[in-house]
Amino acid sequence: MLNDSASLNRAFAALADPVRRGMLARLSRGPASVSELAVPFQISLPAVMQHLKALETSGLVASQKKGRVRTVHLERDALAEAESWLTRRREEWEARLDRFEDYVTSITQENASDR
Amino acid sequence: MTDKFDLHLERTLDAPRDLVWKAWTSPEHIKRWWAPRPYQTPECEVELHPGGKFYTRMTGPDGFDFSGTACVLEVVPGERIVWSTTMKDGYRPNEFANDGGNGFPFTAIHTFEDAGNGQTRYTATVLHANSKDRDAHAAMGFEGGWGTCADQMAEVAREIGAEA
Repeated sequence: MLNDSASLNRAFAALADPVRRGMLARLSRGPASVSELAVPFQISLPAVMQHLKALETSGLVASQKKGRVRTVHLERDALAEAESWLTRRREEWEARLDRFEDYVTSITQENASDR
Repeated sequence: MTDKFDLHLERTLDAPRDLVWKAWTSPEHIKRWWAPRPYQTPECEVELHPGGKFYTRMTGPDGFDFSGTACVLEVVPGERIVWSTTMKDGYRPNEFANDGGNGFPFTAIHTFEDAGNGQTRYTATVLHANSKDRDAHAAMGFEGGWGTCADQMAEVAREIGAEA
């Protein structure tokens, strides 16, 4: 569980950067080479490699090198985990409010029957 | 201002506003509904003033024991309470472990309005940080119990009814 949490942290850290979000958006349409990924951004190749490294560490993307070309693809499971975080927060609150609602309803009925 | 990391919840409760307020702000009531079964809330302290304490301790089977102290930021009796886990009482910042093991920062804004017919409209807005320190449900260790199904909640209600 601690590992799950740490990987989620890394995923959020990776998603916090606009260049990396741009790369993910491109990769959501299919795998791409490193040079294809770099095209929309006015940044150096070492900077592109840094961002890719952050994305790979986060588990959001993976890459394979074939000859001189490194191809990057999206790891959809990791992205889904990050997206579902807020959904789970909502479920927790809804569940807590369900309990609260049951409770206030029960004490209201008690009060009414006391009269 | 809404952020994509905010949650907004709304309920119309079949209970008068003074009672809903009491059930949301008095420790003796909070202990009865705060934690999902089989987890319990043996300790709770609430100080209804800015800088006051909003403290809960939950315990459960397999040694689960989680306590958190939030800071009350704003109180309009019967209408509104705001507290934040970013701080403890006295506005002292909370520390959060990277693994989420001692919770994560958020601010909760609760409002209470008369909805007519002895009902109360309750809203909650929950603000999360949108940075990496926004942390994991998983490490809190009771995801399964937290997302309690409706059957179990009905059972809780019946139990409360039976105790009363």
